[in-house]
Amino acid sequence: MTEALECQLLVIGGGSTGAGVAWDAALRGFQVILADRGDLATGTTGRFHGLLHSGGRYAVRDTSSARECARENEILRRVATESIEDTGGLFVSTPQDDPEYADRFLAGCGEAGIAVEEISPGEALRREPRLNPKVRRVFSVADGSIDSWKLVWGCARGAEQLGARILPYHPVTALLREGDRVVGGRLRDLRSGGDVEVRAECVINAAGAWSGQIAKMAGCEVGVRPGKGVMVAINHRLANCVVNRCNMPGDGDIVVPSHSVSVIGTTDTPVEDPDDIEPTAEEVAKMMTAGDILFPGFSQARALRVWSGARPLLPKSAVGSGDDRAVTRSHTVLRHAERDGVAGLVSIAGGKLTTYRLMAKDTVDAACAELGVERTCTTAETPLPGSTGRNYYRLADHQADFEKGRADNPIICECELVSQADVLEAARRHPKGQIDDLRRVLRIGMGPCQGGFCAFRTAALLHGHGEYDRAEANATLRAFVQERWKGQRQVLWGQQLRQARLDAWIFQGVLDIEHLPT
Amino acid sequence: MITDALVIGAGTAGLTAGIRLAHGGLRVAVVATGEGCLPLASGTIDVLGFAPDPVQSPLDALPGFLHANPEHPYRISGLAGLEQSLAWFVKTAEPLGYAGELTRNRWVPTVLGGLRPTALVPRSMAAADLGGGGKVLIAGIRGFRDFHPALLAANLGLASATPAPAIQARAIELDWPGSAGDMPAFRLARRLEDPEIRRRLADQLRSKLGDATAVGLPAVLGREKAAEVHADLEHRLGRPVFEIPGLPPSLPGLRLFDCLRRALLDAGGRLLLGSTVISATHHHDTVDSVTITRASRPVEVSAGFFVLATGGFATGGILRQPDGQLREPVFGLPVHGLAPGQEPFGDEYLAEHPLDRVGLSTDAQGRPLGAAGGPHAVNLYAAGAVLAGAVPWREKSGEGLSLSTGWHAAEAILGRRREDAA
Repeated sequence: MTEALECQLLVIGGGSTGAGVAWDAALRGFQVILADRGDLATGTTGRFHGLLHSGGRYAVRDTSSARECARENEILRRVATESIEDTGGLFVSTPQDDPEYADRFLAGCGEAGIAVEEISPGEALRREPRLNPKVRRVFSVADGSIDSWKLVWGCARGAEQLGARILPYHPVTALLREGDRVVGGRLRDLRSGGDVEVRAECVINAAGAWSGQIAKMAGCEVGVRPGKGVMVAINHRLANCVVNRCNMPGDGDIVVPSHSVSVIGTTDTPVEDPDDIEPTAEEVAKMMTAGDILFPGFSQARALRVWSGARPLLPKSAVGSGDDRAVTRSHTVLRHAERDGVAGLVSIAGGKLTTYRLMAKDTVDAACAELGVERTCTTAETPLPGSTGRNYYRLADHQADFEKGRADNPIICECELVSQADVLEAARRHPKGQIDDLRRVLRIGMGPCQGGFCAFRTAALLHGHGEYDRAEANATLRAFVQERWKGQRQVLWGQQLRQARLDAWIFQGVLDIEHLPT
Repeated sequence: MITDALVIGAGTAGLTAGIRLAHGGLRVAVVATGEGCLPLASGTIDVLGFAPDPVQSPLDALPGFLHANPEHPYRISGLAGLEQSLAWFVKTAEPLGYAGELTRNRWVPTVLGGLRPTALVPRSMAAADLGGGGKVLIAGIRGFRDFHPALLAANLGLASATPAPAIQARAIELDWPGSAGDMPAFRLARRLEDPEIRRRLADQLRSKLGDATAVGLPAVLGREKAAEVHADLEHRLGRPVFEIPGLPPSLPGLRLFDCLRRALLDAGGRLLLGSTVISATHHHDTVDSVTITRASRPVEVSAGFFVLATGGFATGGILRQPDGQLREPVFGLPVHGLAPGQEPFGDEYLAEHPLDRVGLSTDAQGRPLGAAGGPHAVNLYAAGAVLAGAVPWREKSGEGLSLSTGWHAAEAILGRRREDAA
């Protein structure tokens, strides 16, 4: 059975770009449907290091990206406060870094309009005592830590409140063409198994690293080149601000505090398939060793998890601006009407999370041109729903909220302080959500025990409240345990291996989920 | 400090060796970094549950199992030793009323409602054997996060050990007198030692018993007064009551720890918790002494015999370094079971991983092998999960192999003492 839907804009891709487009377009009064093949923010957006760029990283070699980051950083600090922890950031010149880069860095920041202040190594060590004591020069910038799941769900909720429909777990199976026009898309509803046919005035391809695959469905090309980046989470905060090496961007040279953990990143390896990005043991070892340069002893720290994301890089040659092989971190909006003679399709590629709002603005501007209307973007002035009248997120806020309702509210996840009420509320907002979907909004299973205790509690609790039937509860528990295993096995040594064996004791010994009825 | 025998580790294997040695007349000290692993355990004595098919009679299955797994630690004590160690255990843990036989596994519910095979169960789980089907009422406590009767009962209705009569399970939730709020198992157990609380829970339960022939409850039926709590509930309800163990810390495991600790102390043994062995000294082929931390100070302990019962990766008995090297931290013994360069983990979480069976190899007497291939020392024995060759959680053999190897190490030491005396 095929369900038929209609809208003005069909947005493909529920990462930060697609959700940003949905929010932007809904604010401009468009009727929007957003579809993603999985849950929101499960592609590149949910698999990054959590860094809100000040622009410093691009100050020397990519001034236009740096300038965009600096401006967007300032805007997001007004409209997305719920998702941002104002950690600040440091660029530190270690003995392994080119000493001359520091001056070029300062000059580049000046050119790009990045606020920067040089502080003494002594002051830096006072702020971050674990920092390499041999740092020679230190620059303080407005880097921050940003929760991409909160950001994306903020955009999605905001768009929904304005009438948009958000369809996670709806992969696109075909684009609908009538002559030289794309007039919509066919989706598969993975939960019901049915098909959904969406007629749209304009289709927006915001599939990031997968945008080439989507464009192909309309016989068009987007020359996106996925770039694999590996990240490792350490079980606590090694620093309370973002720490970057002051050098040409390289592997493992950023450490970002994210909630209760630290994330080190990253690498950049071209890959053919954005779904084939499993981190290797060598990459993990490289991250751990690189961490020692910023934080001596890093390689002995307790790593919780490793993952990788696929950047949607767009070589300049792919945009048709000559033979330049350099890859920019800026974004490009492609109107296929102009490029391939196929109307009704706009693709966006390149870019990065920090500039997602600008990317969305440029994309919706292009869609407006496609539809022949003029409507002004207001996302720079309109706070996201969760960020209205609110200060930045602080690590301690969650603890404070949690303590308020403590007495009558059992704790489900001790590592990340998630209560029974939190789980039930998240399940209400994400009907039929798997435990892994709830994880991204609640952080259950993301702490040191990686779900050893909370996975069973969550499955059984939600079964008791009618969210799952018996078979679904067993299946989502098994699937969650397997999903958590995926990013753990490359970092199992020392205390974290011990923790994993305790989890195995629970899952295999105490709960014996292997022999549970299906 | 000087003692006849020093046991390192206070889990099932270490305490078994310690008690048995003390009964045999030796001065014994048991030293452990933490409180031992028993608070993690379900309190049942598993011997062999899956080989890999479900095992009905461990006694019948073990010869074939040992043939197929010649490196399994059960080879050290052999079948006869296993049986002797179990008989010894039932007697030693008499206050907890363990019962069962090697000829027939019992199938007891997990907290998720699966059925788990085990050989011996304590009195509080005597009625938990649902291998033959049954009509049970599963009663939870509203707000207790570790026990969810609806899913438990729903799974139990489908669980079946073998082609067996069906289980009919009904679920209810009881209101805790006052708010259960965020009540961990510990606190519920302590409160249930109050007869008034029990009366109020039993009053709620009685009207809902229906045709249930037994009542399953979360394993929170008291700690010190567990026998009284259990008997009182059975009396009030007029039918058998059984505990269903769940996430750690587990009361049935803690009670077993309490019981074995008492047995060790009663036999004149010493228990030094919060002490870690930091180094060992050798003289030729003999371990002379180890240095332990005692109130953060190093203390040298000399002993005639040593038993290493520190467990596997889960309890720190074996370590894996970031570079992948495996290490036994007390004596630096070689760790066997993983070929150089072999991937330690597979893709499927629930499948067996190459790392699962690693541990110490021993000679026929249970003495761990050193780098040269022979026993590392003539007076050092190893017992329990530190040994290579088993996958205890998968095959459900953990307590059986800890009891049999712990008991065997003690017997070997006692035999050597008798020889020396003669």
